[in-house]
Amino acid sequence: MKISYYPGCTLKTKARNLEDAAVASMAALGVDFQELERWNCCGAVHSLADDDLIHHVAPVRDLVRAMDQGSDKVVTLCSMCYNTLARANLLMRQDEVKRKTINDFMSEEKDYHGEVEVLHFLNFLRDHVGFDKVRERVKVPLNGLKVATYYGCTLVRPGNVAIEPPADRKLMAEFLEAIWASPVDFADATTCCGSYQVLANPDAALDVAARILESATRAGAEAVVLSCPLCEYSLARKQDELLQKNKISKDVPVFYFTQLLAAALGLGSEACRFDLSPRCSVELLKSKNYPIDAAVVGV
Amino acid sequence: MGYTPEMLELIKRVEATRPARVEMARRGENFPALSLEERAVVLEAFHPDYQKEGRRPVKVGPDKGLVLPDEIATMLESRSMIRPDKVDLSHVDFDTDVLIVGAGGGGTSAALLASEAGVKVLMVTKLRHGDANTMMAEGGIQGATQECDSPFYHYLDTIGGGHFTNQPDLVAALSHDAPQSIAWLESLGMMFNKLPDGRLQVRHFGGSSRKRMHSAGDMTGAEIMRVLRDEARNRSDRITTLEFCPAVELILDEEGKCAGAILYNMETREFFIARAKAVVIATGGNGRLHIKGFATTNHYGATMDGVVMSYRAGVGTTCLPSTQYHPTGVAYPEQNVGLLITEKVRGLGAHVLNIDGEQFCFPLEPRDVESAELIKEAVEKKKAVITPTGRVGLWLDSPMIDLLHGEGTVRKELPAKFIQFARHGIDISKHPMLVYPTLHYQNGGIAINANCETVIPGLYSAGECTGGVHGENRLMGNSLQDVITFGRRAGVSAAAYVKKGVELKKLTLDHVAKYEKELKDAGIENPMIAPVLLPDYSTDEVAARRKMEAMQESE
Amino acid sequence: MSHHDSKSASPMQVATGDRAILPEGARTIPIYVMGKRYEVPETLTIMKAMEYAGFKFLRGAGCRGGICGACPTVYRKEGDYKLYFGLACQTVVEPNMYLAQIPFYPANRAKYDIEAISPVAETVHALYPELFRCVACNNCTKACPMGVEVLDYISAIKQGDLARAAHLSFDCIQCGMCASRCMGELPQYHVAQLVRRIYGKYIQPRAAHLEKRVVEIESGKYDAMLDALQKMSHEELEKLYKEREREPDMAPPGTWMPEDTQYL
Repeated sequence: MKISYYPGCTLKTKARNLEDAAVASMAALGVDFQELERWNCCGAVHSLADDDLIHHVAPVRDLVRAMDQGSDKVVTLCSMCYNTLARANLLMRQDEVKRKTINDFMSEEKDYHGEVEVLHFLNFLRDHVGFDKVRERVKVPLNGLKVATYYGCTLVRPGNVAIEPPADRKLMAEFLEAIWASPVDFADATTCCGSYQVLANPDAALDVAARILESATRAGAEAVVLSCPLCEYSLARKQDELLQKNKISKDVPVFYFTQLLAAALGLGSEACRFDLSPRCSVELLKSKNYPIDAAVVGV
Repeated sequence: MGYTPEMLELIKRVEATRPARVEMARRGENFPALSLEERAVVLEAFHPDYQKEGRRPVKVGPDKGLVLPDEIATMLESRSMIRPDKVDLSHVDFDTDVLIVGAGGGGTSAALLASEAGVKVLMVTKLRHGDANTMMAEGGIQGATQECDSPFYHYLDTIGGGHFTNQPDLVAALSHDAPQSIAWLESLGMMFNKLPDGRLQVRHFGGSSRKRMHSAGDMTGAEIMRVLRDEARNRSDRITTLEFCPAVELILDEEGKCAGAILYNMETREFFIARAKAVVIATGGNGRLHIKGFATTNHYGATMDGVVMSYRAGVGTTCLPSTQYHPTGVAYPEQNVGLLITEKVRGLGAHVLNIDGEQFCFPLEPRDVESAELIKEAVEKKKAVITPTGRVGLWLDSPMIDLLHGEGTVRKELPAKFIQFARHGIDISKHPMLVYPTLHYQNGGIAINANCETVIPGLYSAGECTGGVHGENRLMGNSLQDVITFGRRAGVSAAAYVKKGVELKKLTLDHVAKYEKELKDAGIENPMIAPVLLPDYSTDEVAARRKMEAMQESE
Repeated sequence: MSHHDSKSASPMQVATGDRAILPEGARTIPIYVMGKRYEVPETLTIMKAMEYAGFKFLRGAGCRGGICGACPTVYRKEGDYKLYFGLACQTVVEPNMYLAQIPFYPANRAKYDIEAISPVAETVHALYPELFRCVACNNCTKACPMGVEVLDYISAIKQGDLARAAHLSFDCIQCGMCASRCMGELPQYHVAQLVRRIYGKYIQPRAAHLEKRVVEIESGKYDAMLDALQKMSHEELEKLYKEREREPDMAPPGTWMPEDTQYL
């Protein structure tokens, strides 16, 4: 069995904190986590139009690249990439007619029938690394950190590519427990962050982001954890604007789940990348007096 | 495709003699090299530069009496495509500070430096911006950048390589500016081959005392050209570039200053008057004149236009009789004809053989001697192979290299050549290559000083179209440095001249009329029309059909 | 248009320069230039075959050595739906090939100031937002006559890996075939040029020894030496030339120093 890692473009540019933390954590856990040698943009969205096959070409090509490199599983960190790749994979497995058309179009590549399995990092952690192993390796238990488990939409919708049964969500909670933090489920855990409306209807996007943040706080969370750069944009980077427009009453710390993993494993600042997170997130960790290296939280 | 069955049959003769030759090479024995006296004899008899046949004194112009190859003499004894009495010079289409003729490495460097000095630049070229020999230079660019080296040694290597025939002030300028030129290219974002700490990778070359050859992959010239072109495009507010619109005649003013040029839009066949306070000629080489019918490594437009125009205006030349031939250009397959096969192939032990698979020369004579020996074998001994397209060639026995140095050496040491031939179905580790000397470089040209000035005020020149810096023999890597150093100097000089304040008087083409009278007085009937701009590769059959009377009248 | 039967080459006829001939016994094959049939000698390149047929290039010919990007050509083969791309100066004619040259293809180019730009991927993304219209169809790579992995370098640029993109695109000759086939309407080769210049100027480490040498030259350190050389007689020069020490072939750059250092 060979597992390859598919990063996605945003992780290489605007979401280095999502990637760097994951890659360093895997190294610390002694897990072989090789990035695909060749890959392209996943396409970012899964086209639903019945005759719009061209937008499946990008994710399918990535899956072909994984197959070419002898990988039977490809792991993603970004929720959007996960969703796009997984749905394209499903299409190539299930729709014989479209599969043939796409394979014929990509005649310079090997034919693809869904040979590769697409995994989200959370599943990979649970099934291939093991939360027990993570728990054993934790050097900085994040005791008492109350974190809202924010899934957004693309990890759990549609159901046939959900990382776990949407009605019985526990992956994020199990992950947080493995690093000794306290998961907080909340009503808006799978509400869309609004990123799809950012350009067309920016006010609506702000409203829904405010609702999610307020809902998490009301449920008793001190912070929100997520796995998607678009969610992070809506919920973290827009907070200044949300405060300015009085849509939220106070700022809310937001982390990528991988950053908390790296912090719990006792990794340094170049792994945790809190420098790329909102200031309030760092302040929260500092206030907890965890035995984290001062440099990690940027003192 | 690969070799034809007929050629494969001939290759059997090479294979028959190979075991004995490989044994000989293993014993360290070589086909005897020529003595200095014998070299002189073969050069005298067969090197194109040394032959009286095919050379004659030019009958007109500032260098009247100078013995030149026929093709060059005829080109200089040409008349303009402009009828001087029919041109209305009072109607000016383009008015600029500096007009640059030619948009290769030299012209573009001049354009960039002139524009930096704050003057308006118009750059014209007959093909696309960057279609130039600069683009084709693979090997590298010289410059004394390393601690063990200095401009002193660059000077010595260059003038020694040129048999001490070089023009000293130009050699001094070249070796002085070379590191600055390389630093300029680096600052423009050129991707030099570097060591991890940023140190420039350098190599030796024929005639070097220090490693001074800098490169960018095996396409140094192309990398230089595309970076310069990209920068000129960024400055399109200050540099106007006209493609497919060459200069065809210089314009002077009544005081004899250079005052612009007549441009010719090759696509619409329109003529334009470009008035300029200064003109830089950077039109490149003359390989496409195919002196004595030789193939060439030069680009399609290398037809000596700048030398022709400036000669007509009264500018003499330096070292013009000298041409560089490379002994091993490709003779087959047809698509690679004229391309270089590096000296390294012979350095690795490959023999040069005739049609019978026999050696006839020491493979590592100096370039000019080696070329002469190949020509002798083909022309005098008639022992060359004739290709399906009627070219002559001699074998270069590359499969010996693997036999001498181990399986896979050809592939490892000559990757680009291996791929170039493999693309056409020839495995050069298994089959020999067919080669013949090829025209490589115009050593001489327009006479300039170290500021790129000619004898005409306001007329400057830079690059392969000029003469003197290389003397009668150019070293590898000095041609790219030539275009950058002197292109930059020409841009600076022309801009400074303009900024000093130039007042152009009435424009005139009297020099053209005067030159045509000189042609007539010299008894030259039906002179050719030049610049020719592009070579004509029509077959005789096509040419004959084109010349039918009805066709001529319809034109 | 067939001149097949008009050949009259004698056995001694020899091709000179770049002019092709049809030697005795050589075969001709039909090709279709923009749909029109011509008989040309086999083994010729498309460029020389067209010249043999009577075309005189203005556009569509440049270096004739496979590096300038002037002669990209698209062609099909008999009974084959596929499009093929090649340089006319490098591609050998095949019987019944249908071809057209594409000497120019419009492509948007963003102007920038190399001195002022920030050497990060976001700069490239901002100058060329159309990068994100790429659907990874790979037509660019299929159209590249140089075998450049165009999609891979475009992907690297989107991923912010400018160094990788600079190296992947290094063999680009800017012929424009990638742009001609792009359904996202990207000007790939212009983007790559920008990236290579950013890499060469800002990302690749600068040469410290070169900077030092430039300062020495500007201070006039070598002026007197070069003046003296210019005034020397042939004999003096020849003596110095013969006495030069040669840097050993195997010495890594920057490690060897000559015994005589007075001219350094």
